[in-house]
Amino acid sequence: MSRWAERAALPAAVVATIATLSVVFYYPVGSVFVEAVLESGRLTADPLLDILSDPFYTGVAHHLFVDPLGIPAGVLDWITSGFPSVALGRFGFTAYQAALSTVASVALGLPGAYVLARYDFRGRRMLKSLTIVPFVLPSIMVAVGFLAMFGRAGLLNDLLGSVGLGPIELLFTLKIIVLAHAFYNAPLVTRLVTTAWESVDRRQVESARAMGASPLAAFRDVVLPAILPSLLTAALLTFVFTFMSFPIVLALGGLRHATVEVWIYARVQALDLGEAATLATLETVLSLVLTYLYLRYEARQRSTSGAGQSLLRKPLTIGWQTLRSPTRLAIFAYGIVAAVVFVGPLLSLLIESVTAPDGSFTTAYYEFLFAQQAASAVGTTKPLPAIVNSIVYGLGTLALAVPMGIVVAMLAVRGGRGSRLAEALLTAPLAVSGIIVGLGLLQTMVFGTVLFGYRLTAAGPIAIIFAHAAAAYPFVTRNVAPALGGLDSRYRDAARSLGATRLRALLEIELPLIGAAVLAGAAFAFAISVGEFDSTVLLAEGVDSYTMPVALERYVNNRSLGPNLGPATAMGTVLLFVTGLSFVVIDRLGGRWEP
Amino acid sequence: MRRRTFLKTAGAGSVIALAGCAATPTGNGNDRPPRATIDGTPGGTLTVATYSSFTGEDTAGNYLKSAFESEYPNVTVEFTVPSNGVNQYIQRKQSGAPIDADLYVGLNTGELVRADEQLDDSLFMHSRDYLDRGDALNSDLEIDPRGRAVPYDTGYISLVYDESAVEEPQTFDDLLESEYENGLITQNAQSSDPGRAFLLWTIDARGEDGYLDYWSGLVDNGVKILDDWQPAYQAYTNEEAPAVVSYSTDQVYYHGEGVNMARHQIGFLNDQGYANPEAMARFADTDQPALARLFLDFVLQPEHQATVAEKNVQFPAVTDAQLSEEFAQYAYEPPEAVTFTYDRLKGNVDTWIEDWAREVVGN
Repeated sequence: MSRWAERAALPAAVVATIATLSVVFYYPVGSVFVEAVLESGRLTADPLLDILSDPFYTGVAHHLFVDPLGIPAGVLDWITSGFPSVALGRFGFTAYQAALSTVASVALGLPGAYVLARYDFRGRRMLKSLTIVPFVLPSIMVAVGFLAMFGRAGLLNDLLGSVGLGPIELLFTLKIIVLAHAFYNAPLVTRLVTTAWESVDRRQVESARAMGASPLAAFRDVVLPAILPSLLTAALLTFVFTFMSFPIVLALGGLRHATVEVWIYARVQALDLGEAATLATLETVLSLVLTYLYLRYEARQRSTSGAGQSLLRKPLTIGWQTLRSPTRLAIFAYGIVAAVVFVGPLLSLLIESVTAPDGSFTTAYYEFLFAQQAASAVGTTKPLPAIVNSIVYGLGTLALAVPMGIVVAMLAVRGGRGSRLAEALLTAPLAVSGIIVGLGLLQTMVFGTVLFGYRLTAAGPIAIIFAHAAAAYPFVTRNVAPALGGLDSRYRDAARSLGATRLRALLEIELPLIGAAVLAGAAFAFAISVGEFDSTVLLAEGVDSYTMPVALERYVNNRSLGPNLGPATAMGTVLLFVTGLSFVVIDRLGGRWEP
Repeated sequence: MRRRTFLKTAGAGSVIALAGCAATPTGNGNDRPPRATIDGTPGGTLTVATYSSFTGEDTAGNYLKSAFESEYPNVTVEFTVPSNGVNQYIQRKQSGAPIDADLYVGLNTGELVRADEQLDDSLFMHSRDYLDRGDALNSDLEIDPRGRAVPYDTGYISLVYDESAVEEPQTFDDLLESEYENGLITQNAQSSDPGRAFLLWTIDARGEDGYLDYWSGLVDNGVKILDDWQPAYQAYTNEEAPAVVSYSTDQVYYHGEGVNMARHQIGFLNDQGYANPEAMARFADTDQPALARLFLDFVLQPEHQATVAEKNVQFPAVTDAQLSEEFAQYAYEPPEAVTFTYDRLKGNVDTWIEDWAREVVGN
């Protein structure tokens, strides 16, 4: 590559990234959000105020918008009447369950990161690769797995019953929603924090210890500052995701526990797009404000770390001594909990895929998949193309999202006025409801946009990959930015002073040093692509470009084996194995890159 | 890079196959022509928009395609399955985007009402008076006073209950009794067809002024409202509750050797079931109005009606179709069918549902 091209490459990548995002994200989403602030062509705040002053949505907070002056008196009333419980409204309830879900996800995910980063045992790398598998599972499959595991007649109650305990009623409660959210998001915590923990420089801990710091003090002063940004990133992402959670909430909790997103979906179905857009705008603003506040915090926290060797891992089992090590016993107790929450539902899903309605063993659902594959009728959804498409889109997304994410991370780390705000806005694909993104893509790309008297439309594989990349790249940024920011700038400066271009310094010095973070980001990009449904199903329409989740959804509605989810559970199992294998391969191939 | 592709495409006015990007001149179709006829042999491609489970191996759609194509060898039937159903076409019409299908199959009354409320010009054209088979239709199922949507089958919403766990619920009041505490699973009327039908059924039984009170009673008695039919039925299968809102054809799937029929009893509250007819209609913008009409008449032929009904596990929409003995034995029809007409739903249904949703969510 000529020097000129090397110099131009990064600015060109920035322009390409922003152009891509504009076409497949900002313009489509903007076309929906505009409905929230426009009424017959005029700018208005009325729809927003209508929602904010509706106690159904905002609960007790609606007083803020209806009668702000009456609030002190209202608060006084509330105190004098002995702090009765207050109405949260849909937004309040949604935030409440998201907060609980975040706490549960951190509580379940953090010990996992500790074990994976600090202990050595057989299958550790494999386990680490597989942690994000729950992330890609369609919610209807999680619902099936949870029902079979935690239901009234589920596996857990069977197990409890056999030792004389239970039964416990979890279904249709807030608890099961929080648990399902932890199932989805604790792996996110584990994966992000493990990556950060493994990047802690052993020498720094050793020097702290050599200077007389206790293990606890060394942890507090060296390890904690290094993993905290990742932990908080994971917590933030979990909050934002669970705030926008939708099908799983209704499938396990029922309408009594409806989130704001449920209402957005209902309004879109009823084609009341104005109210849908208004609700989604409020949701997004809330998520973006949180993201912005977090990014400001993160920028102040960045600790410089060298790139050294990671901490030595201790063996998990040490013979009979294992039973006398309180930490190891606690780890085994955690292992049991993790097995119940993560392995339980997945295993139950597997069992459901070979269980007939009367409880006997059957291979009918897998035979169904083969029959679909062999079928000649048009409109048949076949499993093999779905698998191939999912993998191809996933790899395409990975190839696009990784450079996009790195470019944006570089912009973010460089700092300067407004860069936090810019990064928050660039993180928007995480903060917009999938329903709204889908609607936007439908209105702009599928229906087409009129330019110069021509209607331009875009659908099919390339459009899908670009849409997935826009959704996935913030994960790369969120993995890479803290690592890049933590890198000692002297490495780069040295390379630059020796005449390397910015691109060369990035490719040859910085990225290899933070390979683990890039790899984690790449795995997430793949996961997002494989799991994506809302946009895929719209852009895949009419073409044979359906993916595994889309095929699964069609099998859900297929009644040829009767009204059961058997065929879908078989496809769900296939999806699990294919994605699990993909993660292992990605990690193995990418692992050569790790320091 | 993407922008550039778009501009180049626009300049050349061509199609980029790889990306599936396309550029076509914009313009609008015409409105409602009189009865269209075919000169000579019918030919060409007929594009049918429908829901995904209507097509594919061993479905009603695939059967109709084969039968129609063998009757008219110069015709090809193609299916398109928009993921958001008829909304796709309402929105296309609203934004002036082309409608690339000739007819829609799988329309219900509420969707027709929505299409008319959202659009100034009708999305569909009149068909009823031009059909040869119009007189054979079961008049109770005709959902469209303007004769655009023509029914092709119907389901009846009923309860499915486990007689080994509860007595048969006879009336809506029964469901408020302690015997049915935590005993019923239904679906979100905002997004699910059977859920909506069950809600409308309660409005029919309790009146506009009484249904919210009734639902407040159901909620107090622990009714569970899940998002759609599949999760609800799955929860019923997993014994989370002894009754679920479902279809009266349940036993068609569950009978014979080794099946516990006790868990598949049909409950017709007040000796009623709520009819949910499915209809088909020609798009106003179709350029194949005559071929599309031919297809509608074809679907209404007695033998095709019987096959479509059995493949969809529904009941025919004509009076002269002959169902197979086995199917007829296990598919129950309610003594009395209730359903809200187009005129009753128009202007009301959205409010009813929104009020209901706010009532059952509570705060």
